[in-house]
Amino acid sequence: MSPRRLLLPLIALVLVLPGCLPSSSVSEPLRAVKLLLGFRPDVQFAPFYLAQEAGYFAEAGLEVTIEHSADVLVLVADGRADFGVADATDVMIARTSGIPVKYISTLYDRFPVALIGPAGTVPSDPAELAGLRIGTPGEFGSSWHALLALLEAGGLTRDDVTIRAYPQFNQVEGLLNGDVDLITGFRSNEPLRLEAQGMSVDLLTIDEVAPLPGPGLIAGDELLSSDPALATAFATATLRAQQAIAADPQVGLDAAIAAAPAIGEDRATALAVLRATVELWSQDGTIDSAVWTSGYETMRRLGFIDGSVPVDEMIDREVVRAS
Amino acid sequence: MRRLATTLLSLAAFLVAWKLLTVVTGTPDYILPAPEVVAERALRAIGSGLLWEHTAVTISEILLGLAVGATSAVAVGTALGKSVVIERVLSPYIVAAQSVPILALAPLLDIWFGGGLLARVLICALIVFFPIAIATMVGIRAADPLLREMFRSLGATPGQITARLEIPSALPVLFGGLRVGVTLAVIGAVVAEWAGASSGLGVLINIADQGLFDTPLMFVALATLAVIGIGLHGLVVSIERRVVATS
Repeated sequence: MSPRRLLLPLIALVLVLPGCLPSSSVSEPLRAVKLLLGFRPDVQFAPFYLAQEAGYFAEAGLEVTIEHSADVLVLVADGRADFGVADATDVMIARTSGIPVKYISTLYDRFPVALIGPAGTVPSDPAELAGLRIGTPGEFGSSWHALLALLEAGGLTRDDVTIRAYPQFNQVEGLLNGDVDLITGFRSNEPLRLEAQGMSVDLLTIDEVAPLPGPGLIAGDELLSSDPALATAFATATLRAQQAIAADPQVGLDAAIAAAPAIGEDRATALAVLRATVELWSQDGTIDSAVWTSGYETMRRLGFIDGSVPVDEMIDREVVRAS
Repeated sequence: MRRLATTLLSLAAFLVAWKLLTVVTGTPDYILPAPEVVAERALRAIGSGLLWEHTAVTISEILLGLAVGATSAVAVGTALGKSVVIERVLSPYIVAAQSVPILALAPLLDIWFGGGLLARVLICALIVFFPIAIATMVGIRAADPLLREMFRSLGATPGQITARLEIPSALPVLFGGLRVGVTLAVIGAVVAEWAGASSGLGVLINIADQGLFDTPLMFVALATLAVIGIGLHGLVVSIERRVVATS
């Protein structure tokens, strides 16, 4: 066979072969996506670090850039980030204030904030909070909403307790110093950090008293109407990472340390925090209507929202349903 | 009268430029509210008493911080100006304290001093201290050496030389430091409130930003801080004109 006769079938093969290969092996450009997380890197953001490092995002066609900000809701609403992690209670307030952002997938199906204090001193009945000194970051965020919801459940108001603000989120030091009797904090974080400092603690959680929806993924209205498949792809990849970490928290810790080496300074506590966090996670990201309705009513009674925007305009259930 | 007209004209131009920016860019209120939206929010905050509740706290922190910071800065600055030994001993600590970001130091001071007004006044005083102390030191040293010699030859005590010669001759520079100090006092109060406080304009900014997602209210708080800063600066300039002219 002459070289010329060989060349023609070879060219044909080169042209035809890519069409015969499985579609996944054809490299398509990844869609650039920006994710905003809260203030600073934390082991509790491990699913995002793992989804990025293990390639779950890439397999979903996404090239995710992770950044941190204190203004997640506003930046996501304005389209300067595609997705974010935010408190459901904040989404209620923001949406009522006209900020076009929606809660699309549940990350925590148990409310992560609790009242924390030295063992034996934390009342089990919220009515017994009267007269206590309570440290909290300030009059914002899930800690504040949980505190007021607990007080309301006990028939109390903020005037029945002494509130001390720790805007730098250093209320643990305030409790260790004895400046306050109780603090608000993430039940999967502060108790472990206090125990690492030698303080045994008890918790008063809110789930059984006044259920509030927990933090979740958010996206802006514009993205949700123009590209809902993108939101589904992102939520699905995140859920995949959560499931991988639930099966083996060590992989989440490793990914978190790779993304933010400072997390590895105290590996044992970080792993314990991650294990405790996994207990609070949603299994499938679905949005619990009952908890949202109950939480919405609580937020309305507390005066955070006026009820002008219904729950259905604050959430998008289709993102997770489509996954 | 002419100065007032110029100021009003400048303010009007600023407001028009701001309004134009919001119209041209179509930016939503939660990113950049238009001036009339901020004005309407200000009226509501004034009407409900919310603005004054927080402003009063911040003003008291600023004034107390300024009093503590400026008094100690003048005393230390005078000692630094008069003694090279004291300068050599204290300068590294003063410069180090100034070099550490107050934002990082504030949470520590808040914990050490148990929070409350004392911690916030100290944080405010700390940020005010450096420019006034350095200005005082430079001013004290700027006293005419011939006049100093004359005071000595007339039998003046060191205290009299300081009170009658060095401090009066330091006043122009000292007031320069005070001008910087009063504006820093406003920043100091806000930083102190961010470290730990239940009320104050810094707290209101946090609540508006993180709790209420009320950007117009943030602008109201920021504008109030600016007005306080401008007012205090104007007060210092006015005192400076009287004191320096008569000294």
